Amino acid sequence: MKGLFFSVKRYSIHDGQGIRVTFFMKGCPLRCRWCHNPEGISPLPESVVQTNRIGTHKFSHVEEVGRYYSIDYILEILNKEKVFMNHSKGGVTFSGGEPMLQAEFLLEALKVCKEKGYHTAVDTSGYSSVENFKSIIPFTDLFLFDIKHLDDVKHIELTGASNKDILNNYLLLTNCEKDLYVRIPIIPGMNDDIDYLERLRNFLISTKTDSLKRINLLPFHKIGSSKYKKFNIPYNMEGKEPPGKVKMQELKEFFMETGIPVKIGG
Amino acid sequence: MKISDRVRKLRDQSLNAVEKISAERALLITQFYKSDEARELSSPMKRARAFEFLLKNKKLCINEGELIVGERGPAPKETPTYPEISLHSLKDLEILNSRDKVSFRVEDDVKNIYEKEIIPFWKGKSNRDRIMSLMTPEWLNAYDAGIFTEFQEQRAPGHTVLGYRMFKTGFLSVKKEIRAAIENLDFFNNNQAFEKLEELNAMDVTCDAIIMYANRHADELERLSIDEKDNKRKKELIEMADICRKVPGNPPETVHEMLQHYWFIHLGVIIELNPWDSFNPGRLDQHLYPVYKQEIESGSLTADSLDDLLGCFWVKFNNHPSPPKMGVTASESNTYTDFCLINLGGVKPDGKDAVNEMSYILLDVIKEMRILQPSSMIQISKKSPDRFVHKALDIIRTGFGQPSCFNTEAIIQELLRQGKTLTDARNGGASGCVETGAFGTEAYWLTGYFNLPKILEVTLNNGVDNRTKKLIGLKTGSINDFRVFDDLIEAFKLQVNYFAGIKIRGNNVIEKTFASWLPVPFLSLLVEDCIANGKDYNNGGARYNTSYIQGVGLGSITDMLTSIRYNIYDNKKISWKDLAIALEADFSGHEPLQYELIYNTPKFGNDDDYADQQAVTVFEIFYDSINGRSNTRHGVHRINMLPTTSHVYFGSVTGATSDGRNAYLPLSEGISPFQGADHNGPTSVIKSASKIDHLRTGGTLLNQKFSPSFFEDEESYEKLTALIRSYFSLGGHHIQFNVVNAETLKDAQKYPERHSDLIVRVAGYSDYFNDLGEDLQNEIIRRTEHEEV
Repeated sequence: MKGLFFSVKRYSIHDGQGIRVTFFMKGCPLRCRWCHNPEGISPLPESVVQTNRIGTHKFSHVEEVGRYYSIDYILEILNKEKVFMNHSKGGVTFSGGEPMLQAEFLLEALKVCKEKGYHTAVDTSGYSSVENFKSIIPFTDLFLFDIKHLDDVKHIELTGASNKDILNNYLLLTNCEKDLYVRIPIIPGMNDDIDYLERLRNFLISTKTDSLKRINLLPFHKIGSSKYKKFNIPYNMEGKEPPGKVKMQELKEFFMETGIPVKIGG
Repeated sequence: MKISDRVRKLRDQSLNAVEKISAERALLITQFYKSDEARELSSPMKRARAFEFLLKNKKLCINEGELIVGERGPAPKETPTYPEISLHSLKDLEILNSRDKVSFRVEDDVKNIYEKEIIPFWKGKSNRDRIMSLMTPEWLNAYDAGIFTEFQEQRAPGHTVLGYRMFKTGFLSVKKEIRAAIENLDFFNNNQAFEKLEELNAMDVTCDAIIMYANRHADELERLSIDEKDNKRKKELIEMADICRKVPGNPPETVHEMLQHYWFIHLGVIIELNPWDSFNPGRLDQHLYPVYKQEIESGSLTADSLDDLLGCFWVKFNNHPSPPKMGVTASESNTYTDFCLINLGGVKPDGKDAVNEMSYILLDVIKEMRILQPSSMIQISKKSPDRFVHKALDIIRTGFGQPSCFNTEAIIQELLRQGKTLTDARNGGASGCVETGAFGTEAYWLTGYFNLPKILEVTLNNGVDNRTKKLIGLKTGSINDFRVFDDLIEAFKLQVNYFAGIKIRGNNVIEKTFASWLPVPFLSLLVEDCIANGKDYNNGGARYNTSYIQGVGLGSITDMLTSIRYNIYDNKKISWKDLAIALEADFSGHEPLQYELIYNTPKFGNDDDYADQQAVTVFEIFYDSINGRSNTRHGVHRINMLPTTSHVYFGSVTGATSDGRNAYLPLSEGISPFQGADHNGPTSVIKSASKIDHLRTGGTLLNQKFSPSFFEDEESYEKLTALIRSYFSLGGHHIQFNVVNAETLKDAQKYPERHSDLIVRVAGYSDYFNDLGEDLQNEIIRRTEHEEV
């Protein structure tokens, strides 16, 4: 069995505890307007032209984005990074794209990683069936779970998909005795007005359990903008500016009232 | 630490002082050597009397407001020369005065003195002249080709650090030790007894000389106190005079006395000769802590007065640039600084964690003073608390390259392997850049950098130096004779062995020139067991005597060999002929091949065994050719892996290489991957770097570049600490974080090919800088500018 990935990141320090390896799985059912990993959207391998320079000479070659990895290959990489995980209580994170889109492979990968004693995390939009989540819960130590918007209509507008399953899955995960970091993207003009954020805060408080270990506030950024060009996808966040430091600090304090540790960034 | 007005002024004075050549020492030493007295003396006594003459006649300098006194030159940054070691010509002085980087102002009167007094006397008589006349044609050929450099060509052997003993004793007791050693001399059975007597008498002279020098300062301070209008300063001057009457003759009992005591010793060492690398106080937190504690408890020292003392002490180091070099030596170590590497942390002689309150206080001093010298490092043992590492990271993040991080357990194991006792090993540390030594007991001389990539180039050219077309190596066969990759490795091994032999033979002659003509009786007082042995530091008197040769360009040569193995032998993508033609043309017209070599060939630094295997092969060849071969001081040669700035010089003599590097560009530095060759981030670099056996070296150097955003909060400190501890658990010796500044990022934007290893972090996400769009790059540059301290 193989899974499709678009990137592997070592010394990954923002996707869960400790020093981790994050595997980015390719394919995503959502179309978030601010997506910073557009190369993770299509569930198929893609080719892009990569250009490198030597002095004034330009060299282009076609680069495959999207490779199929076996679980053995994943273990091979994790084995190389073991010493760092041991010293930092780190582990492996499956991110995306949306890793749940390859639920069968993900389940197998998590099972084997768990067997080998790795701390496992899944970084998800929550957009998948309850059954899929139920199947991976026993083999996942930490969920990184996005809440992009609470209103279904708004959610559809921003991401192209309903949030019904997402919120159900969120409730499931708050009650499964696994660690949960909720990740809130702060996108100017889309989900950052104070009335909404107040509702979101109330929602987090009302659904709070011991599982919820942390709130990550992820400020909108433009890291992905150049990739859009590369992948020939229209970029619809032109002109949007990232929220400033002061605003993020204010929001951090605002969410601290939930009684849950809040961090800006991952 | 609070920087007081006093310290701020002294710091400004130091930062603003112009580096200048002072002719004072050259003039005095010439005067002495010309004297009738000098002519009749044995070498040790001549050097002792010269030392005494210098200290008796040199101008004293007491700077306004300072609490620790003594300057090597007539004023801060006025730097003496050492014509007995190497003689600057008028042209050298002109170059020093006018060169762009690391220039020293040379006034006309200095040039006059040189022309009339110094050059006529020393021409042909400096030790450099002596060395060059004693070297074989093979040595001179290899040296000219840039196969190796020679440390002792313009500097005296140094590389030793003060240990516990001299922080607890004064020179009056040292005189008693000398007396006892003289009484123990066995004139009946030991045919060296007379030489030992001469040496011990010479040592005795230098004890008196350093006490006399301190007393001269006391006299001057008393004189100044009489004229001083400010009562507070008047009182200080009187106190300082009292201290200079007490130390270094007697053991220091307060922090102030200890710092002044050390500083007189330091000056003695760097006035006597110009040893590489600068002598330093080593485990300063350990030395200071007991007296500090006593004084804080008794109330004789306040936090503010401690800050003032440490601030004044710190400035002293910065006032003393490295003695000006010339020629090749200037490019191999093109810097003003002499790396006084203060060690903090580590373990105590009994093996317990040595981190104490003073370790934190000194980290604070490093942070607030923010000057290049003294340099600083932390020794991290398994027992060191994370808080200690975090505090150091807090300084590292400000991007001034200090402190660097060392593995205490590795240092101890390296020293034990070399036969040191456990106590001597635990009292050791690193000095210079990364060099392991047993502090207070070892003379560990660095003798020269060794250009491994150049030796491969010579191998590929059947012993000929491509630049000069001269046969300088062995004829180990043409490239067409290398049927399999291992044939090439065998040929390379023969060449390394050949050049190592040339270098070691040279070392063994050069060591003797110092033993015979330039003993250092003062430095010999400081390093155990020179007195007991009745032997000079420069003649194998120390308890341990090691000679090092420093391998340079591990990353480059690994990539060069890997490329040959991968492209020519294993995958048959290119022929030897194609490669030879492309290298000869410096890739001009062969860019597609160069592209393959750079972008589609495995590289060191990615935790890829295929590539890293060549690093191990080269390491073992280098190790076998040097480790254990005798020096002349009852010790042996050993290896370490560090470049200072020699990778730039060595690159400038090495043509285009099979890793795709253009001719004459810098080689890789330390054991770091070649600039831009690593693509998997710091964990892979660490894994690759730890595949060689650090514990069989006397130090390795690994640099890692990070943007400040990797240091943003406590959590990132925890992860960096884990990264460091992981490397150390794999046996890594040293790691240094270079936190890049906006300027570097701008350069990376302009010249992406030079910076493809540069990792930056943007909002919860990190990436190679080159992979980002220009607008984003600009945003990161702006933010980095903002974050810079």
